Amino acid sequence: MRIAGSTGPRAVSRAIAHGGAGLPAMVRQKLRASPLPHQQTRGAELDTTLLWSALTLLLLGLVMVYSASIATAEGSRFTGHQQGYFLVRHAVFVGVGLAAALAAFQVPVRVWQQWSPWIFIFGVVLLVVVLIPFVGREVNGARRWLPLGPVNLQPSELMKLFAVLYAADYTSRKLADMRSLLRGFAPMAAVMVFVGALLLREPDFGALVVIVVVSAGILFLGGMRARLFVGLVAVLVASFVVLIWVSPYRLQRLLNFLHPWDDAFGKGYQLTHALIAFGRGEWFGVGLGASVEKLFYLPEAHTDFLLAVIAEELGFAGVFTVVTLFALIVHRAFAIGRRAVMLERPFAALVAQGIGLWIGLQGFINMGVNMGLLPTKGLTLPLMSFGGSGIAVNCVAIAILMRVDFENRALMRGVPA
Amino acid sequence: MRTVRATLLSDMLPAWRSRVVLLVLLGAFVALLGRSLYLQAVNEEFLQQKGESRYSRVIELPATRGRITDRHGDVLAVSTPVKSVWAIPEDAGKVNGEQLRKVARLLEMDARDLTRRLQAEGDFAYLKRQVAPDVAESVMALGLPGIHDQREYRRYYPTGEVTAHILGFTGVGDAGQEGVELAFNDDLSGRTGSRRVIKDRRGRIVEDVESVRAPQDGHDVALALDGKIQYLAYAALRDAVAEHKAKAGGIVVLDARSGEVLALANLPTFNPNNRGKLNGAQLRNRVLTDTFEPGSTLKPFTVAMALEAGKVRSDTVIQTAPGHLTIGRRTISDAHPNGLLTVAQVIQKSSNVGAAKMAGMLEPQQMWGKFDALGFGAPPHLGFPGEAGGRLRPHRTWKPIEQATMAYGHGISVSLMQLARAYMVFARDGDVPPLSLQRVGGRLPEGRRVFSPETARQVRAMLEMVVEPGGTAQRARVPGYRVAGKTGTAHKLEGGTYADRYVASFVGFAPASSPRLVVAVMIDEPGGNIYYGGEVAAPVFARVMEGALRNLGVAPDAPVKPMQMARGAAQVPM
Repeated sequence: MRIAGSTGPRAVSRAIAHGGAGLPAMVRQKLRASPLPHQQTRGAELDTTLLWSALTLLLLGLVMVYSASIATAEGSRFTGHQQGYFLVRHAVFVGVGLAAALAAFQVPVRVWQQWSPWIFIFGVVLLVVVLIPFVGREVNGARRWLPLGPVNLQPSELMKLFAVLYAADYTSRKLADMRSLLRGFAPMAAVMVFVGALLLREPDFGALVVIVVVSAGILFLGGMRARLFVGLVAVLVASFVVLIWVSPYRLQRLLNFLHPWDDAFGKGYQLTHALIAFGRGEWFGVGLGASVEKLFYLPEAHTDFLLAVIAEELGFAGVFTVVTLFALIVHRAFAIGRRAVMLERPFAALVAQGIGLWIGLQGFINMGVNMGLLPTKGLTLPLMSFGGSGIAVNCVAIAILMRVDFENRALMRGVPA
Repeated sequence: MRTVRATLLSDMLPAWRSRVVLLVLLGAFVALLGRSLYLQAVNEEFLQQKGESRYSRVIELPATRGRITDRHGDVLAVSTPVKSVWAIPEDAGKVNGEQLRKVARLLEMDARDLTRRLQAEGDFAYLKRQVAPDVAESVMALGLPGIHDQREYRRYYPTGEVTAHILGFTGVGDAGQEGVELAFNDDLSGRTGSRRVIKDRRGRIVEDVESVRAPQDGHDVALALDGKIQYLAYAALRDAVAEHKAKAGGIVVLDARSGEVLALANLPTFNPNNRGKLNGAQLRNRVLTDTFEPGSTLKPFTVAMALEAGKVRSDTVIQTAPGHLTIGRRTISDAHPNGLLTVAQVIQKSSNVGAAKMAGMLEPQQMWGKFDALGFGAPPHLGFPGEAGGRLRPHRTWKPIEQATMAYGHGISVSLMQLARAYMVFARDGDVPPLSLQRVGGRLPEGRRVFSPETARQVRAMLEMVVEPGGTAQRARVPGYRVAGKTGTAHKLEGGTYADRYVASFVGFAPASSPRLVVAVMIDEPGGNIYYGGEVAAPVFARVMEGALRNLGVAPDAPVKPMQMARGAAQVPM
């Protein structure tokens, strides 16, 4: 096989895909310089740390969703007073998510890249459809759900993954132009403004923040000019300041989370109850199932405020475990991404890191909100909170991450992926 | 493309950028752990305290109210557990019509009334209070949303209307509102206990934290009341009021030795267990709260005063002819002109003129002093709510005609209880003991001396003549016992003038040789032509006295023969 004369990244990865024998000497050298992490046994085909971290979070999430929702489910007419209402549904979601993950794992990264523009367009279409009256379902003033028979699809959840795929594909296609404002940044910015507008219409501010930050992060990782990036951040901050200067009440609203006790039974109600849950948990918690906050005090205990219930029932030990597992996933995602860089696979590298950034960012925001570090956003805890679309998409994202790693290993061993 | 061709991917995707992003994320996670640590290990006390203030509640543990028993320990009032059914109207909004009708049927309520209650504002509404526990349970078994029950106590009075006035009743809050329930409320009501619990947001207790104070049940109160005598008194009064179509009536039975109230009944009465439709007339404890001009029943006191003052002896003859006496511009008259009467006969024949003449021998201050010592003009201090003191005007304001009318019980008002108590002076050799609603154990109370024993005995003998042939109250006789007493038939004062309406009364005691019981009967406005105390009140006295004496096992002190006549007379239809 002739590879001489075509050593561009694409050519390299194509070459890799067809056998490691053709790796340039420099690449081999770099690979030798960064040995496999010692916890991975030689010849292992999967990143077990990643797999077990994700599975642990899923299962812990299942248990905690059940614990957090028992009282609500039993006490609500809506659920027919079945205490297992949310457990059964969440278990089905996890099952569907694992099946989807298995399927996604079978798909080569190459195929993901080929399809990512179309997947992204499909996502945008869904975002448009959900806004159509009588098609999208409105709950609590937000039109975020598409009724799909027995379940509701939440397009903004899917869009998080689709945006990662698209941004990675876009960046890997335009690596050479990434230093240019006009050719590298502007088109992506235009797309993001459009998607952002759709998300604001729902509104789903949480998803907007995640998608914009993750896309920008992928551009940054993809070589976007650092000065440009700093400028972008500066512009965002400046426009934010102007917005607040024009209407100070927004700041007040945004900063309510800093003083939850000032209006503990009004605006600060949810947060104060979340904080009380943390305080009650102390080091090792009040015990699984013994939360008082979940007994109708803390709204959204099984979705956005699941961590508060974990904190109350399992204490700091529980919170530490969850944070550590998320940190492990993020760390593995970046390690896998860097390895893909070594293997000259730009799309795979950016997808892996994008997924890591997404899971890490969303997890951080959700947990930060629970602890009163951040203003309240409608963001779930990835892999744990109740919610069909979220769980399924998180599982698929982890599967894609695993697939990137799987192909990395295959390349390392010189086996065609 | 030259630059690209010459560059490796790792140069285009610089590792430092990955590292920066990763470090930022991991730094954020560390911040989370720090914050979590602060909340859970540093600031936890503040947060827990805030939490407690939201869902920790001190709830009350109801104490059981003490029982009220009669002197033999028979229960007259007891608290029984019941349940109240209540609803959170908002939650109960989804209950459909069929289910509502079921609930209404179980609670024996009108379905519309139930619907109205469920539409009430706020998040709490009683559907029905104090229902039987099994009724509440069958309502709860329907499993309807928003409908709850709670445990309460309800006061139950086994003797019902018989003891209604003496016992009174409690309000829903279990606090005494009338009668003994109010008078002894402090003893009866226990001390509510409390415990600290954690409640969920819907108010259900999810955890017991600590017992703050154990509930202390109320003390039982043993009354002096004798259940059997009480029933007897009530039944006799009831029959008499019905027979004479009277407006009202009262009866009181006192133990002459101890001053204990053995029975107290009023008519009209009410059922304390079902106080749905009550009016003021039913509630009035007339024996204690209503005063009336006692009429002739007061004459023995006038006689006793004259005897005590040495103005007359029992055989002193007083001219009552021509049956009337003019003092100032007013004239006092007797029902029948009698001519010459001994002091004893003045009592026996109930001569107003005779009594007025004896009053004329006394100073107003003297009379007032005795009336006051007998307890007139001041409440008897039994502890009952609304005890009346009656009217006894200061002697300085007395005019001669007033002093004369007071001699036979007009121009002065008393309650039946005061009157009965005053008669103790004759039943007890001249002293008046304090009355007691509760059993008197051990030493008998000291009375307040009003007359000398000699005077008391003399009047007692005169009072015995009242029930003998020639007296006004032959129908007060009791077979086997010597009875003493006095009738009263007073015109009622209405708007300042005397109307053709009467209060018939009889106060007496037995056995006369060693008095044990004092019974006072008052019948208010007997209808028809029979309104004399001797006709209306005396038979009630006889029936109650006979039953009570036999019940107490008091030895008869009279030959049987004359009684048979009296019994026969009592059974003559009128």
